[in-house]
Amino acid sequence: MTAYFVRRFLLVVPTFIGVTLIAYTIMRYVPGGPLDQLKMQARAAQAEGGASIGGEAGAIPEEALEAAKKAFHLDKHVVVAYVYWLGDLVTGNLGESYFFQEPVGKLVVERFPISIFFGLTGFVLAYLISVPLGIVKALKHGTSFDFFSSATIFIGYSIPGWAIGTLLLVFFAGGEFYDWFPLGGFRSTSYFELPEFVQSWEDPADVEDDFGRFRWNRLGYLSKVADQLWHTVLPVFCYMMGSFATLTILMKNSLMENIGQDYVRTAFAKGLHPRRVIFLHVLRNSLIPLATGLGRALSIVMAGSYLIELVFNIDGLGMLGFNSIVRRDYAVVMGVLAINTMLTLVGNILSDVLYALIDPRIRFQ
Amino acid sequence: MTEPNASETNPAKPASPLVLRLRRFRRLRRGYYSFLLLAAAYVLSFLLPFLMSDRALVVRHEGTVYFPALWSYPNQIFGYSQSLGLFEDVVYSPATFGVDSVETSTDYRELKERFEKSGGSNFVWLPPFPYSPTEQFLAEGQLRAPDREHWMGTDDRGRDVFVRLAYGFRISMTFALLVTSIAYAFGTLVGSLLGYFSGWVDLVGQRFVEIWGGIPFLYTVIIISAAVGPSFVVLVLILATFGWIGISYYIRGEFYREKAKDYVAAAIATGESNLTIMVRHVLPNALTPIIAFAPFAIVANITTLVALDFLGFGLPAPTPSWGELMKQGRANIREWHLVVFPLLAMFTTLQLIVFIGEAVREAFDPKVYSRMR
Repeated sequence: MTAYFVRRFLLVVPTFIGVTLIAYTIMRYVPGGPLDQLKMQARAAQAEGGASIGGEAGAIPEEALEAAKKAFHLDKHVVVAYVYWLGDLVTGNLGESYFFQEPVGKLVVERFPISIFFGLTGFVLAYLISVPLGIVKALKHGTSFDFFSSATIFIGYSIPGWAIGTLLLVFFAGGEFYDWFPLGGFRSTSYFELPEFVQSWEDPADVEDDFGRFRWNRLGYLSKVADQLWHTVLPVFCYMMGSFATLTILMKNSLMENIGQDYVRTAFAKGLHPRRVIFLHVLRNSLIPLATGLGRALSIVMAGSYLIELVFNIDGLGMLGFNSIVRRDYAVVMGVLAINTMLTLVGNILSDVLYALIDPRIRFQ
Repeated sequence: MTEPNASETNPAKPASPLVLRLRRFRRLRRGYYSFLLLAAAYVLSFLLPFLMSDRALVVRHEGTVYFPALWSYPNQIFGYSQSLGLFEDVVYSPATFGVDSVETSTDYRELKERFEKSGGSNFVWLPPFPYSPTEQFLAEGQLRAPDREHWMGTDDRGRDVFVRLAYGFRISMTFALLVTSIAYAFGTLVGSLLGYFSGWVDLVGQRFVEIWGGIPFLYTVIIISAAVGPSFVVLVLILATFGWIGISYYIRGEFYREKAKDYVAAAIATGESNLTIMVRHVLPNALTPIIAFAPFAIVANITTLVALDFLGFGLPAPTPSWGELMKQGRANIREWHLVVFPLLAMFTTLQLIVFIGEAVREAFDPKVYSRMR
């Protein structure tokens, strides 16, 4: 068993290399890369400078072009350039962002907590609600409770979380209807973004630094909690909806399947109390399929869903990745992609490890 | 649950498993009716040019009958040139410039009013909903709230939301059906090859499948579609190249299991070719996952298209699309109709497909749950 998982972990390496190599190659041959952008900037500068400079339009100094080529390893073969990238990655250097002019590692580290905060909260809530709900639904299968709760679940089943997000924004974030929640963001970025009740007890002067800028950290403890919660409710609801429906159905089906097993009949036959049978015997076995989901959710939990982050304007890892694609900020895209791939691959193995740990019948070879 | 009834099957010639399963599917009423409803809506959506269009179905003018929904006619035919002064809205008729040959579209809604006013035997028969999905009602204002004329309002370019949703349904469905068929065909091919030949073919193949499956798919789609400039066909192909992995695993598993059975050994012994064994003997037995998962794959593909359109990397600009409307809704948070109606359309469609999918799964893979007491 241990040998199996060691082998699995070793196989992560070639898979990871394969995935990133393909992504790297696609990215390299897609138009609009660093060189194209440099040329475009030069052309724009030329247009601004007007006729005073003269010369042929759009020309950039040969040296600058060469320097850029060197910086992105564009003067080398794709595979060689990739090996350079991989070497940097192994030494912990993710390169520098073209857009931010900052190390990619720094950008990622800044955003990781934001993504994890929303992802993890939504994930935990989804399990906290789905497991009991699934149990109740299984025990009350066919009743009106089962039927009506299924109606809610169907919504989660057929509409993705981010789409529900747009609906929530329209209804609860200052559209035609209610103005209960902010339009998005991780935390308030200025005094006037704070919820009104927080504004009522916080003095603007207290939360400004010497330069008159808003400092979230200077808010009182209660204000921080209130502001954070205020920004958290809607996006976390969306994260939750993403897995809530599948989890509940999985829980229900798994429990019902187990109730039909012979050992349950035996437990009932020897006169055990139904509650004892369900919660001690059946539930433990029915939780197995849910446990495997824990690993596979790793990348969503840690790296966030870029759709939800975009809808709610949360500057997390997902949004960084998406915007970097739009900006063709290759170093960042590759960095985020590498992290995502690693999380997915490790998450898959983690699922299997959990599976094997929980269910002694499972034997991988 | 539903069990096949002995009296229903002909004892002389037992019905094939497929027939039995289809019969079971028909008895699962929610799924079956969802299927009928969706199929009818999809077929009907191909008649959309005759149901929702700014082009009249039939025009009778001076004794001649025209079918503008099928062919386009220049304005002058219907006498625009003579009465232009009466209708100031028609600013640029070709006749205004004395050009006779240039074709331009006719405003049939106006023509109808005109004919009705003037009386006589001329008439215009408009489609039930006389607006086209790309027509911009700028004079009436963009982002109009729903009213009697535009049931679901207009979008930020003054186009009718209801009409765009209807056309969007056809596009989404066609898109998802195409992607799913291509992806499933390819996934079945790969899965059956890996499962049937196993050994080193499987070992090497699995690595490639794993790598391909490990590529963050939407990321790559966005990168490619940002670069190539997506069209319907390009998007279908991109999504299909990433959509086959899941099903290939299932088919591979099925082939693995089936291959160990006696009938395959018997087929090999009688000297049948690998191809015959795979296609004629094993494949029909391995088809269950394909049929059972297809509806959910269609749901996933519709959702992906909506997400791509929402991000702005989906179908090119004037194409009617649900995701694009939701994108507008996110940008104009006060225009609730831009979010609510597309979501409703999406929800209804996907819900019907989920119902179908559940019924199919139950009919093809009946798992009888015993209830507590």
